[in-house]
Amino acid sequence: MIEARDAGVRFLFGRHHRVLTSGAARIRRLDAETWGLRSLDFTLSPGQGVALLGPSGSGKTTLLRLLAGIYEPDAGRIHVNGKVASLLSIDAGLLPVLTGRQNALYLGVLAGLSRSESRARLDDVKERSGLGEYFERPVSSFSQGMRARLGFAVADQVNPRILLLDEVHEAFDHEFRAILERRARRLVEAGGVVVAAGHDHPMLERLCDRALYLSHGSLRADGAFADVQRQYFEDLHAHAD
Amino acid sequence: MSPARTRGTVTRALASLRGTFDLLISLTASDFRTRYGHGPFLLVRWLLEPFALVGVYLVLMVVVLDRPGNAPGLSIACAIVPFQLVMNAVTNGMGSVAVRRPIIANMAFRRSLIPLSSVLTESASFVASFAIIATMMILYGVSPTPALLWLPVVVGVTLTVAAGLAYPASLFGVWFRELRPFGTSVVRILFFIGPGLVPLAEASEDARDWLRLNPLTGLFESFRDVFLYGQSPAAWQLLSPLVFAALLLVVAVPLYRREQREFAKVIT
Repeated sequence: MIEARDAGVRFLFGRHHRVLTSGAARIRRLDAETWGLRSLDFTLSPGQGVALLGPSGSGKTTLLRLLAGIYEPDAGRIHVNGKVASLLSIDAGLLPVLTGRQNALYLGVLAGLSRSESRARLDDVKERSGLGEYFERPVSSFSQGMRARLGFAVADQVNPRILLLDEVHEAFDHEFRAILERRARRLVEAGGVVVAAGHDHPMLERLCDRALYLSHGSLRADGAFADVQRQYFEDLHAHAD
Repeated sequence: MSPARTRGTVTRALASLRGTFDLLISLTASDFRTRYGHGPFLLVRWLLEPFALVGVYLVLMVVVLDRPGNAPGLSIACAIVPFQLVMNAVTNGMGSVAVRRPIIANMAFRRSLIPLSSVLTESASFVASFAIIATMMILYGVSPTPALLWLPVVVGVTLTVAAGLAYPASLFGVWFRELRPFGTSVVRILFFIGPGLVPLAEASEDARDWLRLNPLTGLFESFRDVFLYGQSPAAWQLLSPLVFAALLLVVAVPLYRREQREFAKVIT
């Protein structure tokens, strides 16, 4: 369902440590080049929940963005087979001046629905978000938790086969986290794939039976969640000592 | 190719076209809401904004400087209205990627449509700005003529120029964030080294050939032909900006498509 072969993502830096595009790097002074991900090889099969473990800056978010199609590989290749829904930040692409309804319509089209399909699903998104009348208000008046709820409901409306979560689920209240967990488990049971990064390991363990451990952009370990988590903690303690 | 395969190809092409259209409309609608807000004042803002933007030029030239000539206010409005679209296409084009940071950082979609949606958003205020021309025609007692039939063509060329400039402007805004004000100034200069304030017919013989090199000259003069002189625009007036826009699009669009792959890295 997801296959990475020698995949890498490169960042080019100009003056003041500002990221440049390849085109800009040809006409501006290039100060540094860093590989955010390097030589990644893995396959995620249908029906897997996969946790991404690793310290901050290890490449978890970069990998999720690569899987979401937000980044394209600068080396190797990545093949994602199936509709993807992602929740990679709390704002989830929401525009603050638009109402919940307008955002849902807009983001539905960006996620690949036609305008009529997106419009037809608005009431369903409203229901799933649990926002009630707030759905008709500008998102600027929402709390972070409410934004995350709307973001997830909007992302989920495309009936994804692959769900990508990046820490933001940790911003949900307990009730909605339970809903999210149920949804993710149902997706895995139905043959989909869930890839989740975060620091809430108990929740990740409930969702994922497999883990990838990233360190400095490289894959350090890949296996059963408990084994990979143990290795991650051992490395952390070794580092602390 | 078998009929079934041809049908499949056509169906896929139509679906892709419809998806592009839907995406463009959604991006533009969200821009429009962001810019004009909600509620009953949306229409008022939409109608008044062009007056607020270009009114100052008109007051300066017509009232303060008291320029002589054939309906000077209308003549200037005929230059300012297309110029404002071009100017806004460049200004907003330069910020178009930064403005869409939330969606670029979170979703995969056809980012190559971003400059085009900026131009479509600006075309909404472009349409409203025709009220200025209508007002000037009434003030100077200039009646509409059959030359108005050329308006769709002239508007089409103006929009093409705006789109042609929006792509390089968007790239410029990503590559040289700190130089955006300079980009705005360059476009503003095109107005002043063109027949914006003084029509081409009133410029000196020597200057005319030079002024014709400015791609905006054809636009300004075409608007004057349609609204003020009541005649068909000359071929060069439409072809010169069109060729300019086509060259920009041919060079900038492939470059933009290549560069947009990395926009998410730059803005996050």
